[in-house]
Amino acid sequence: MSNYNFVERPRYTCALGGAIATVSALPQAVPILHAPPGCAGNFTWTQAGGCGLQVGGYCGGLSMPGSNIQEREVVFGGAERLEEEVRNTLAVMQGDIYVVLTSCVTEVIGDDVGSVVRPLQAQGIPILFAETGGFRGNSYQGYDLVLQSLFKNFVDKAAAKQPGLVNLWGITPFMDVFWRGNLTGLRRLLEKLGLTVNSFFTVDDSIAGIRNAGGAALNIVISDVFGIGAAQLAQEIHGTPFVSTTLPVGPSATSAFLSTVGAALNLDPGLVDNLIQAETKRYYNLLEPLIDCFNDMDLQRYAVIIGDTNYAAGITRFLADDLGWLPEVVGVTDILDEEQKNVITGFITNLASGIYPELVFHTDGSVIAGAVQEHWSKSQAQAGKYANPLSPAFVIGSSLDRELAKALGAGHLSVSFPVANRAVIDRGYTGYRGGLALIEDLISVIIAGR
Amino acid sequence: MSYFKLKEPPRREDRLQACIAHGAALGDLATRRLQCCLPNSERRFTQNSICLLLPALGTMNSIPNSVVLMHGGLGCGSSCHGGNAGVRSGNNHRWGVVKDGTWLSTGLTEADVISGGEPKLAEAIIAADRRYRPSVIFVVASCVPGIIGDDVDGVVEQVQPAVEAKLLPVHCEGFKTKIWATAYDAVYHAIGRTLLPEAGFIADKKSGKTVNLMNMSSMGRVDEVELERLLRELELAVNIFPVFSDPGAMQRMAAADLSISTCPTHDDYMLNHLQEKYQVPFIIRHMPIGIENTGKWLQDVAEFFGLGAKATAIIKQEEAELAAALAPLKPMFKGKKAFVSAGEFRALSTAILLAELGFEVVGVRAFHHDEFADIEYEKLLRITGTDYPLNIANCQPFEEANLLRKIQPDVFLGHMNGNSTAAKMGIATHVIYNTGLHYVGYRGAYELARRLYRQLKNPRFNGNISKYVKLPYQESWYRQDPFKYIETAGGDLE
Repeated sequence: MSNYNFVERPRYTCALGGAIATVSALPQAVPILHAPPGCAGNFTWTQAGGCGLQVGGYCGGLSMPGSNIQEREVVFGGAERLEEEVRNTLAVMQGDIYVVLTSCVTEVIGDDVGSVVRPLQAQGIPILFAETGGFRGNSYQGYDLVLQSLFKNFVDKAAAKQPGLVNLWGITPFMDVFWRGNLTGLRRLLEKLGLTVNSFFTVDDSIAGIRNAGGAALNIVISDVFGIGAAQLAQEIHGTPFVSTTLPVGPSATSAFLSTVGAALNLDPGLVDNLIQAETKRYYNLLEPLIDCFNDMDLQRYAVIIGDTNYAAGITRFLADDLGWLPEVVGVTDILDEEQKNVITGFITNLASGIYPELVFHTDGSVIAGAVQEHWSKSQAQAGKYANPLSPAFVIGSSLDRELAKALGAGHLSVSFPVANRAVIDRGYTGYRGGLALIEDLISVIIAGR
Repeated sequence: MSYFKLKEPPRREDRLQACIAHGAALGDLATRRLQCCLPNSERRFTQNSICLLLPALGTMNSIPNSVVLMHGGLGCGSSCHGGNAGVRSGNNHRWGVVKDGTWLSTGLTEADVISGGEPKLAEAIIAADRRYRPSVIFVVASCVPGIIGDDVDGVVEQVQPAVEAKLLPVHCEGFKTKIWATAYDAVYHAIGRTLLPEAGFIADKKSGKTVNLMNMSSMGRVDEVELERLLRELELAVNIFPVFSDPGAMQRMAAADLSISTCPTHDDYMLNHLQEKYQVPFIIRHMPIGIENTGKWLQDVAEFFGLGAKATAIIKQEEAELAAALAPLKPMFKGKKAFVSAGEFRALSTAILLAELGFEVVGVRAFHHDEFADIEYEKLLRITGTDYPLNIANCQPFEEANLLRKIQPDVFLGHMNGNSTAAKMGIATHVIYNTGLHYVGYRGAYELARRLYRQLKNPRFNGNISKYVKLPYQESWYRQDPFKYIETAGGDLE
């Protein structure tokens, strides 16, 4: 994690940014920042430029309350100012839940936030806090820390597990630009198995549901990395087992996902299998009218995939195993430890199609772009007037990867943060329908000039 | 001693006694330099805003052949994702090439916070120089180095001999000032200390007809074109600084005959420096937003060069043409109530423009207050009356929501990131700052009118939203004094 001098155009923000994203996506939640004034504005502008035009929500952007720490508090301590801020927040702001989030500055100066929050909790006020100083890691860590705080301080202890109740997370609001659609896509499939799904952040979730999350029979984490800490903590505190899975895009991965969940919950295998069969059949029936043009227009592409762990793995599998494209290089831009890298490597080198892309772990997009050029050129022999460039190709990444796509003469689609050039409301790429949505988006890019 | 001899510029709270918290009727506050509004006056309840790092990045990311190296936590400067669209379009509008900005972060970790970030910064500067070969690297200090005591200037001094790029340390520790206009001083400070020549170096090369037109990232290319058009009618040569200006060309700032500010909130720090060190006089008075203001701005410049009569004729011609063009739009605006919220000078000059278009101005909010705006308050009082609220607020949408519920304007004009409160209340809105749109000069007045006409012709988007989307405030809050939480020199307003 520390083998870099700098991160180029980081494709995430800090722990506080991820925590703001997470809290502001909870139903009727009010984040309270214990921070200098600019952290909120920084995240707001980050959202405006990277999150598919999604900013704020019920209480996001510059409407979040904050203690606006200045030099005076740095010198004399900021707990008193925070106490005043929290008291007045409760008078002015309407929230079903309030979450105090700390920043680099207030953690370095050592303010005791717990001493401000705990007396209010004792009065029954729905307030909690998370220590999310920016130097604790990137936005995905901030997401995990907020979930941990929820399970530790907010979710009720259940006397017994409720069969058929599951929690679903692992998709970071806003930092996964397609979070709403991705969560909803999986939620609907799980509901078809007769499960009750608590997904925390969709418009169908509620604070009451989150309170009941301790009664879940299973926690389902849609990531090999994000939100695992919260899953381990929930297992420890609430005794709920968990499964983790890479972002399931399209029929192969989604079928495997449903089987995993079914096995973990001891569901009737026939029930799970029926759903898989029916959904897979439906997927291919819907795809059928595309077959003529897909084949006639030679729409197979070499693919370069660049993204966070979830997207790099999920999109690669879909393109290789379902769509029959040729992933050549996969760049993972997260800051990962060796164990996490091994998990991703294992996944991407075990594709059913036998496709074996080159895998690059690097935080800097321009290093990955260089690796793409090198990867292809070193394997190609020059033969007079005949050349075999990496073409036709397609770059699936973030809006920062437009330059690479341009250099390759390739199509380009932004799916992983930052997504500056698309507007996203509830589109998602998970599940069977998500695979179809991705095909629509990819091919629409290729044929836009028709 | 010149401020430019210091490692970092002073806070505007100290240098200009700027303040950010007050509220009362316009007539009670304006032109009295808001003496009751102390530099450190505060609120007992605050929402968040931005810090000086954000506007500073807006300028730094625009500079060609530059790299912006953020020294701080991983998230500081992720706002560049928002600014990048402006960098891409700004490059495209000027040179026909779409290009992303290049920004980096040292991404300080917990271990760095404990053991210090200086070694990492030194390595990052060298690595960035090798990889990108930029002509300048802005080395930006955010909060964390400011707290753990990293000596950014010391690192820069030590590493400079080992790199090709010119290194410009820029201090943007967000906890040190609430007046984010200090950002402009921070960037000018770095440019002044590093990219300008020795005193007297090129003073003899003056043409007698060259002006520095200062644009500190609040105007897009379309607005620059409008001002260039007017200045060229006076046969002046125009250099635009500092946005999108090549670092090698920055020294030409010292060789101009006059510097002209386009926003008095932005430029005084640099203009004083250019005058003191290179004897370049300056004008910092009107903002060329609004019909009368544009004329005054142009007239001032013309008179400096002895071209007053020529300017008078140009203005007369421009105003006549504009009036004819506005005539069909004005009936839509007549008697409609407008509320304006933005940076101080921009809010005031836009309010004046709205009055010129026939709106009734019913509320003004300004991000901060300092002495430069007194002239603008005088105009506003003369044109619009005195008994509507003036709110000095670095955003604080809760005060805005309270005011809007009470005032019920027909249209709200807010700064970028400042329109959603009004929108969720169902009020027609328009953005007051967006570098893709025209705002400045006669063209700006017309284009703004055209856009407002559109907004008012069908305000249903916000109207529909307001029926189903709720603001995050207690109902009881709307019954309170909107300025309840402001503490001032005279005690609470409550």
